[in-house]
Amino acid sequence: MIHQKNPISRFPNLSINIGPLRLKNPVLLASGTCGYGTELDGLLDLEQVGGIIVKGISIKPRPGNPPPRLVETPCGLLNSIGLENVGIESFIRDKLPWLRNVKTSLIVNILGNSVEEYSEIAKKLDGAEGVKAIEVNISCPNVKAGGIAFGTDPEAAASVTHAVKKATSLPVIIKLTPNVTDITEVARKVAASGADAISLINTLLGMAIDIKSGRPALANVFGGLSGPAIKPIALRMVWQVVRAVDIPVIGIGGISTPDDAIEFLMAGAKAVEIGTATLVRPDTAKNVLAGIKDYMETNSIQNIENLQLPA
Amino acid sequence: MPRFDIPANIVEQTQLAHGIFLLTVNAPAILDSANPGQFCMLEVKYNNSRDPLLRRPLSIYKTRANGQISFLYKEVGRGTRLLSKRRPGEIVRVLGPLGQGFRLIHDRPCILVGGGLGIASLLLLAERINQSGKLIILIGAGNASEIPTVEDFSGLTRYFHVATEDGSLGQRGMVTDLLAQTLQEITGMAQIYTCGPWPMMKAVYHMVCKRNIPCQVSLEAAMACGIGLCLGCAVPKSDGQGFLHVCKEGPVFDADQVNWEYSL
Repeated sequence: MIHQKNPISRFPNLSINIGPLRLKNPVLLASGTCGYGTELDGLLDLEQVGGIIVKGISIKPRPGNPPPRLVETPCGLLNSIGLENVGIESFIRDKLPWLRNVKTSLIVNILGNSVEEYSEIAKKLDGAEGVKAIEVNISCPNVKAGGIAFGTDPEAAASVTHAVKKATSLPVIIKLTPNVTDITEVARKVAASGADAISLINTLLGMAIDIKSGRPALANVFGGLSGPAIKPIALRMVWQVVRAVDIPVIGIGGISTPDDAIEFLMAGAKAVEIGTATLVRPDTAKNVLAGIKDYMETNSIQNIENLQLPA
Repeated sequence: MPRFDIPANIVEQTQLAHGIFLLTVNAPAILDSANPGQFCMLEVKYNNSRDPLLRRPLSIYKTRANGQISFLYKEVGRGTRLLSKRRPGEIVRVLGPLGQGFRLIHDRPCILVGGGLGIASLLLLAERINQSGKLIILIGAGNASEIPTVEDFSGLTRYFHVATEDGSLGQRGMVTDLLAQTLQEITGMAQIYTCGPWPMMKAVYHMVCKRNIPCQVSLEAAMACGIGLCLGCAVPKSDGQGFLHVCKEGPVFDADQVNWEYSL
């Protein structure tokens, strides 16, 4: 057989499947760093990104944690926002009509204090026009009940996954916390419980002390660390989880350049989420996407999935 | 309102006093849609460095017809120190104009109360009010060197008063002393606009709310995005129902919306 190199299209194929969810490209906006989309209007063309994952939604509105909620750390950001959000009713009534007119995949991040709450929100979103998938937050380090309590216990993570899958026909992505001893253990449980995909990592639990006041820098004492500082940890965990489960993995953690994103894709992530970098520069996702395209063209890679390194 | 994230050419960087700088950039697009009280997010890291990670919020101090915007700022940490090292000809990314600025009130005398570098958000407002109505400017600081641009204000109105705690400029005392004197002389309605340290703004609010004089305050908070994405810049509301967000709903608020008992 004569080996014939495929003619390389001027436009490499960036579209991907996350289980049943088809995305036009692998660069998504991470929950908690892109608001409800409208906040970025005029600063980033949302129709260019592969998808937008809106701020985590709970059954009832949540006021969030008292300030200070933020502190900058070397190459990083510690936050304890406390999942402030408008609640599912207001989201569907006030935010969704604008969002559903944006031609990109809308993914709604959900959170709850109990398995029943997760299930209830998923049910409400099931019939909501415009919603393409659900990302389940079982990994927020900043609230006392719920969130991370489900993400650090493999059995609880499995229960939430089961319940949400039962409550909706939408694709379900489970977002994992890195604040565990062995992330593959939770990942395997979640995959076995029917998750369509896994996204990771959420923030790493950390703290800072203001030595002038002699008090913790965050009112909540602990917060979640994000930004470039956490990228090597995120990448390692994505590599591990990709090799532990058969479902698609979405990489998150400190991605701010095309090179960062390509590392995650090489590690086996099918897509990436841009988080803190959007806070620093609103059009980061656009630049990351352009850089991925350039890389593929330069290296004659026709298909984005071909970036993945062998095990 | 359109916002822009642009690489802006630095035109001027002047140290005005110890730790106080005036940075002027060329940013006509931002200038065209800027209102008094709005701010910009300025990148302080160099090129592709990832540290310091976040931009710094700075009030728009002055605008010029040729498209230049000036920021009056104080070196308070690593970010502003790096910014102060930037030189004319270099590029700094500027995102703006951001936030809800001051709402102009035309039917009554307007009293501007500025404390220290809080005056950075008041100059555009003073210029705007001066075009149409009675303007009273009261400025206070620890000493004269903390308010090196006070002359930008003094020419705008004959109702201009300064107080410094050490008496190095104007009356010895606090800006709230000046306000008390002014309020004695005013019989009808007035509008207060204030920006300065939290305890000063709190004192101003308590003085004027007794007389039902409306007061707009410009608040400061630690901020990551400046555009309402992260919800980091929260300040408790006076009604106990959640938080105000300085970057998006502010930085200017009606003072009675704010829980002044909270200490930031």
